[in-house]
Amino acid sequence: MGATLHETEVRGQVRSQSGDWERGKQNTPSKTMLNYFIRRLIYMVPILLGVMLITFVLFNIVASPREMALQNLGPKASAQAIENWLHNRGYSDEHGKPYPLFLNTERGHNPFDSLYFRSMKRFATFDLGTSFATGEPVVEMIKRGAIPSLCITLPAFVVGLFLSIATALLLVFVRDSLIDRWGAVLCVATMSIPITVYVIFGQWMAANLFNYFPAFGFTMEGFSTARFIALPVAIMIFSGLGVDVRMYRAVFLEEVRADYIRTAQAKGASHARVLLVHMLKNGMISLITLVVAALPFLIMGTLVIESFFGIPGLGNLMTTAIQTKDFGVIQADVYFGSLLYLFGLLLTDICYAAVDPRIRLQ
Amino acid sequence: MNGTYFYRLIASAALLLAFAGCDNNPHPRPLHAQREDGKPWVVSYRAVGEDPRSLDPQFSYDTLGHGIIVQIYESLLQYNPYKTDPYELEPCLADGMPRRIKNEGSGTETYEIRLKRGIYFHDDPCFPNGKGRELTAADFVYTFQRIADPAVECPVLSTLQEFIAGLGSAYQHARQAGKFDYSRPMEAITVVDDHTFRLNLLRAYPQIQYWLAMPFTAPVPREAVEYYTGKDGRDLFKFHPVGVGPYRLAQWSRSRFIRLARHERYTATRFPQNGWRSSQDGLLQPLAGGSLPVVDEVQFAVIREAIPAWLLFRQGYLDRSGVGKDVFNSVVTAGQTLSEEFRARGVRLYRDVEPGTFYSQFNLENAVVGQNLKLRQALSTVYDQERANAIFGNGIDIKAEQLLPPGVIGYQPGFSNPFRSQSLAQARKLLAEAGFPNGIDPKTGQPLELTLDVIAGSAESRQRAEFDQMQFQQLGIRIKIEENTWSRFQEKQLRGLFQLNSGSGWNADYPDPENFFFLFYSKNVPPQGSNYTRFSNPEFDRLFEQMATMDNGPERLGIIHRMTAILVEQCPVIFTHHPVTFTLNQPWVPRLFDNAMLVTAKYTVIDPALRARKIREWNRAPAWPLWTLGGLLAAVIGYVVIKARRSAL
Repeated sequence: MGATLHETEVRGQVRSQSGDWERGKQNTPSKTMLNYFIRRLIYMVPILLGVMLITFVLFNIVASPREMALQNLGPKASAQAIENWLHNRGYSDEHGKPYPLFLNTERGHNPFDSLYFRSMKRFATFDLGTSFATGEPVVEMIKRGAIPSLCITLPAFVVGLFLSIATALLLVFVRDSLIDRWGAVLCVATMSIPITVYVIFGQWMAANLFNYFPAFGFTMEGFSTARFIALPVAIMIFSGLGVDVRMYRAVFLEEVRADYIRTAQAKGASHARVLLVHMLKNGMISLITLVVAALPFLIMGTLVIESFFGIPGLGNLMTTAIQTKDFGVIQADVYFGSLLYLFGLLLTDICYAAVDPRIRLQ
Repeated sequence: MNGTYFYRLIASAALLLAFAGCDNNPHPRPLHAQREDGKPWVVSYRAVGEDPRSLDPQFSYDTLGHGIIVQIYESLLQYNPYKTDPYELEPCLADGMPRRIKNEGSGTETYEIRLKRGIYFHDDPCFPNGKGRELTAADFVYTFQRIADPAVECPVLSTLQEFIAGLGSAYQHARQAGKFDYSRPMEAITVVDDHTFRLNLLRAYPQIQYWLAMPFTAPVPREAVEYYTGKDGRDLFKFHPVGVGPYRLAQWSRSRFIRLARHERYTATRFPQNGWRSSQDGLLQPLAGGSLPVVDEVQFAVIREAIPAWLLFRQGYLDRSGVGKDVFNSVVTAGQTLSEEFRARGVRLYRDVEPGTFYSQFNLENAVVGQNLKLRQALSTVYDQERANAIFGNGIDIKAEQLLPPGVIGYQPGFSNPFRSQSLAQARKLLAEAGFPNGIDPKTGQPLELTLDVIAGSAESRQRAEFDQMQFQQLGIRIKIEENTWSRFQEKQLRGLFQLNSGSGWNADYPDPENFFFLFYSKNVPPQGSNYTRFSNPEFDRLFEQMATMDNGPERLGIIHRMTAILVEQCPVIFTHHPVTFTLNQPWVPRLFDNAMLVTAKYTVIDPALRARKIREWNRAPAWPLWTLGGLLAAVIGYVVIKARRSAL
């Protein structure tokens, strides 16, 4: 993400230096955008292939399919049961002969008739396959998990963004005061604590001290949902607050010293107007890239929180799949996640160009 | 920001809390408030670590799935709740115990089984009009066909096909044809009439009765398997079980909970008439001979992490809990009794010995340890299980000195294994007799070096390996630890590429010595079976063959004791422990029996009024945290407001 931003900025600067010379050849904006879009889409392919290759290697070489079979069938499973399991999941042909991992070197066979290329062929057509453990189509599992994940991540994201911007503005407003200094200490402290600690502490407080909310569980029934998501959302917001506040504070601090702020104040604008209109608007240009990239990824949920709170989202799905060595789900989930991540990057670049007129796409 | 805003903020927070209802109950509401007869609808709340992978009784072979399958499906036989020493079977779906018929001359045997009448499958859309039909002998034909169907992936097929006629050939035929033909007659079962059938065995095998108590042979209705195909918006059969058991699957919300509701037409078994401790008379006498299940609904919450599960137990939202490592010291005292805090809550602690045995294995095909009996005996003698237990197992496991665990026929209480004395002096003596005085190999003049294969997974597994190493090195020999991934470890076992390995064990599929001794039968050396030590002893083999087909009695017991003695003498393994588990029951869940083979919920009794009272008592919501938070917020906002009035930006 950082690299992409930097690249675009540099291009913008180069353009402005040699602007006169290139302006004559400039395409129409929509065509430029389309070209850019297509180019970025093509860049995605090798990244996706790389990610899938790493996942494949990890789960076929480091942990063998046999291990997955044993994990799924239980340690007492017979050799016959294991062979049958592998065959039913496409690891061996009808004679029980295993397929090669990458290249089929056997005479008379298509060299690409291997496990890796078979699964890549499937993914190229957006076929996510089925779970090794349960035989369910992964698409169904993802559909089922997306909404519960969003129930947590979306409120946490929106409220968290609002809160961290508000806190950052407040800290900039009271900069160099006692609150600002203690704010910094608190931010760094919250950054340094792993999320699991928040979760355990939060659940402990909920179960032993407050008893306002369930310490665990999830439902999708109107206001009851609020009862269940209150604690995980609060934990998510709190655990992410430190990083975001420090970052946004740095952005706003740069803005507050800018000339236009002094001009606005000289014109008699109120504190609130200067902070919330003039500064926020300019500061948002830097923030938008960070925010937009995260948006599509929200659907993937969170690993730790979902697992600890029993939220049946995609994070939970992934944790279970890893624990049970369900390679069918892991591979599909990684593929889906990579697609979303790349889509987020693309969205960022486009938004960045759209909000900042100084940036051109080429 | 002015004062009005602040009050609005507080008001909204209060409103949110009001909506939340200050209720911290994590469970979905029960299906009903009352039974049809007006009595309260009682729910049992339990937890599982993850979703079961399958609720197909012919496929599932893990503890988790088993715990739910046995509520939904029932088998021909079941374990008597109160007879555990030794365990005893009794009829469940069968009307009386199976009748054993020896077919003279052929060596084959047949079991004739009569079914109870009036046993119905759960009501389900897969049946005409959604009404469950009566169970018949044809359902068992279908069930045994499923065991042989490669698509079902029955994990015990390879064992069962050794004894039950026609399973192996049906499997091979289906593998070749690519599909199982359910219209082909099945040799395994001969239907006599609608409620009677015969199970045909290839040879004498009395242990078949135990298999008839396992879910693998529990009847499934063909209608359900053919209806729940995963197409047209229907579930897969493994996620939508339909059986004749005391509970039907009412709802399965993946990764959240599984909800079972009583099978209204359940008649297969009734509450026992007697057998409990006399102290339970007051509670159980009114239930004696009554209809089952006692509790109307069972909810299994899917809780993957140990911490939230423990918190819910503490809040009273789970009826039972295990005792995890993290909380062990706060729950169990050094004397293995319940801590004061939990005793005051009315919680009860139970200690159960599982029907299993753990051991370290020698590879008897290995040139060093395989040929040298005294060396094996020396290593077995020196290993200090009590210390291992104190360090790694909270001191709760039982030291094993024989293969058979408590509860299995042939287990000898108080048995003392001469090669598990943990005496260093005796071990040194044996080692000298083995040809390695003080651990020195006379050929090289160096300490004898052995390799110990372990599974490396966690810091604890490493510590355990180092502990084992230390134990054996007391003898002056050198132990090299080889760490393996789980699959590599299994592969080495299969191919015999190890000298000594640790951490193996066997949990009873059924409480018969045959299910343990087969691990040392020479015809079960991999790849045929699980005799990983490659133990081969003609006398043991002969006794095994004899014992496996015998009915229980003094003669069989004598053979079992002789086989135990052979294993003790020959030391193919170093026996370590029989695992013990601790369970906590809330004050409203009395324990009715101690039977590790029986996990059914149909006998569970709960006092819902006591539960409601305790939950209220344990979950009070104080107001002070809200006031503290509000005060803090007000202070910060006040500071900012004052600063804004006084200074520039």
